[in-house]
Order: sequence, then structure tokens, then C-alpha cells
Amino acid sequence: MQQIINFLIKYRNLLLYLSLLLIALVFTVQSHSYHRNSFVHSTGNITGSFLSSRSGIYDYLNLKEENDKLRKENAMLRMKALVTADTLLGDETTFLFSEDVPYRVFPSRVIKNDYSKRDNFITLDIGIDQGIEPDMGVVTTNGILGIIDISSNRFSRVISILNSEISLNAQIKGSNVIGSLTWDGNDPYMMSLVDVPRLAKVTKGDTIVTGRQSTTFPPDILIGTIRDAQLVENGSRYKIDVALFNDMTDIGTAYVIKSRDVKPLQIIDTLTTNVNE
Amino acid sequence: MNSTLLNNVVRFIALLLLQVFVMDEVNFMGYISPLVYLLFIVLYPVDNNRWSFLILSFLLGLIVDTFQDTGGAHAAASLTLAFVRPVLLKLVYGEGYLTKNLKILKSPLDRFSLLLVLGVLIHHLILYLLIYFNISQVLQVLQMTLFIGLSSIFMGVVLFVLFGWRNKS
Repeated sequence: MQQIINFLIKYRNLLLYLSLLLIALVFTVQSHSYHRNSFVHSTGNITGSFLSSRSGIYDYLNLKEENDKLRKENAMLRMKALVTADTLLGDETTFLFSEDVPYRVFPSRVIKNDYSKRDNFITLDIGIDQGIEPDMGVVTTNGILGIIDISSNRFSRVISILNSEISLNAQIKGSNVIGSLTWDGNDPYMMSLVDVPRLAKVTKGDTIVTGRQSTTFPPDILIGTIRDAQLVENGSRYKIDVALFNDMTDIGTAYVIKSRDVKPLQIIDTLTTNVNE
Repeated sequence: MNSTLLNNVVRFIALLLLQVFVMDEVNFMGYISPLVYLLFIVLYPVDNNRWSFLILSFLLGLIVDTFQDTGGAHAAASLTLAFVRPVLLKLVYGEGYLTKNLKILKSPLDRFSLLLVLGVLIHHLILYLLIYFNISQVLQVLQMTLFIGLSSIFMGVVLFVLFGWRNKS
């Protein structure tokens, strides 16, 4: 007994070091896995308000670029609205803004953005109070940004598409060829579309958009263009290099998308797995 | 509250604010943001209570982790730096640094720079190993350690010259 106590006293610093190191390593492993139970995240009230006031300061530095982007987007949407108005001439148009729209869009401000790590996260200044829940999709003017990971009352954390844990359903525009969009952790301007069948028609410069099988994102949201493609796994599948439309290093405004049909679709999915069993 | 304690509380908060509000937004060349908060660990009084020193360093790292969403990488790196600091001090200031009433903030620039280089190297290497968490990306880990380490050392020396070291000429 005496010896144990002596041992503890003699090595107390080492023991403290090892136990704290263990805690830190557990947090680190948690942050690298696709789980919602992490303790250390940037959506707490104090951290969130610090980050929010920081972006309040730095946002002034690129107000001009941000305004330009929003102006362009406005023009785009206005053009689309004019086209719709033109085709709907004479029809009743109230359904356009009825309560039961398939996708609801929440505008938000990015208060923290990472792109130089292997698992990157983004923090937004809206949360549960504004109706944000985990698993909603997040997009910007130029394309997809990520998926909501954790929400607190006023802030949300987004798993950036620049995260090794992410895998999104995507397809080549104008065809039904689908694949999984992943990031290998190197270049914030490039992603890979993997598991594309060998017989698919892959052309350099084709556009990649979100797939119809995705329950998180509406279909046909822009992702990027095909830069290059190689056959992998003994030539059975393509691995396509996709150049992103979105400049992930420069993001000010983001839109969270809430899909009306997530729950019904998930119920259908679980039904089929049960039948298979 | 005695002045050493007050000094360290102020340093803890000031370096944390400097890190979060200024340094994290530098993004020189797209990704180089100096880490200055580790100066707290480097400059901590020599005649300390090991327990409180380790716990404080761990907490400091953990707070930075919450701002950067890095899990526990900063905490592990800071904790290790605090744990090995006595060895570094022995290397840099010689065996008898404890009896000489050493004040790191008032020490010569070359000694301090050597201590900072060693400290930053250990800290950044552990930090980026844990951030990448993938042995196949060891080259990126070394690259980040080198470039961000250089920026951290540069900022550390600038802060040291501004606030501590007095030229005795």
C-alpha cells in the first residue's frame, strides 16, 4: 500500500500528463469521426458570440466583394423569375409561394470557415431558434457547402464538403450517372467523384450536380466541372477529379435548405431494408 | 493578488484574444496563420506548481480547440509542450536555471529564440499530426509544421521584442 502511494506521489506529474493527454486524444478522435457527440465544438453560446463579433469586424473588409456576389445572384434569380412568369402567363401563380414548398431556404452568415485542415468545419450564425436541425444541406450562390452537423440555439456547425468524412450523392448533369463526392484532404478547390461505373459517358468539362437520390440537397445544385478522370480498381470504375465552382476559401453568405420530404423518404428507405431482411 | 499571478492571468486572456481575433484571420498565402497562444506556456514562470501549469496549458489548448473545431489537438500539443518545457529550459539555459531565478521574458534574445524554436517545433508537430490524423499525409504535416512554425516563431519574437527583452547597450 505504502509503495503504491509512493509510486503515485513520485509520478504524479507524469500521471496527470498522461490522463489529460488521454482526454485530449479522445476529443481528437471524436472530432475525426462522423458522430454528433463531440464535446468540443464552436457552436456554444460564448464561442459562438466571440466568433460572431469577430466576423462582424472582418466582414467590413470584404463588403464590396460580398455585395457584388449578392447582386449577381439577384440578377440571376430575377432572370429565372422572369422566365417563370413568362411561361406561367395567364395561369394562377399563387402556388409559387404557398406554405407547402418542397424546400425552404434560410439565409445565414458564415462566422467561421476552415479549409486548410483535413476535417474542416464551418460555423453559421443561425440555429435551433431559426428552425435549423442537423442533416440539413447548406449551399451558397456557386454551389454546395456542406451539411449541418450540430445546432445550438443560436449557432450551427456545418461539416464542410472539405471533410474526409463526407460522401455526397452527385451526378453528371444531363445524365443519370451517379457517384459519391469525396475529398482527399489536399486541395480546397478540387474534389473527387468516385464509384462511377466504367460504362458511363464521362467527358472533360461536363458539369457535376447534386443527385436525385440525395435527401439532403435538392437535385441539380451546382458542384463543379470534370477536370480529369482515371479508371481505378482494375478498370471497373472511374475516379473523376472535380474542380469546384465554389471558392471554399472565400465564403460570406450561406443558405440552409430544409427539405419537406426528408422524413417520408427516410421512412420509405427503412421499409425497404426491413423487407430485404 | 500578487503581480506574477495577475501578469499571467492578463497574459492568458490577452494571448487568447490575440489568437482568436487577429492571428486566426491572418491567412497569409491562404493558410498560414501564426499560433501565438503558446507563448503563454513558453513564458510561464519557471518556479511553478507543475500541476496547475499542466492543467492551465491543457485548458488553454482546449479553448483554442473550441474556436477552431479541432477536437483536442491544441490541448494535446499544449499539454505536451508544458510537460517537456523543463527539459527544453535545461537545454537552453543550462542545468542550474532553477537556482538562477530565471525570468524568461528578460532573458537574451538568442536564448529565448532557441527556446521558442524548440517549443514551436514540438507543439506544431503534435498539433498537425493530430489535425491530419493520417499517417499517409505525413508530408503535409511536416509542411504545415515548417511554414506555420516559421510564422509562429516570427510573431513570437516580435512580441518578445515588443513586450519583454530590453537591449542592454
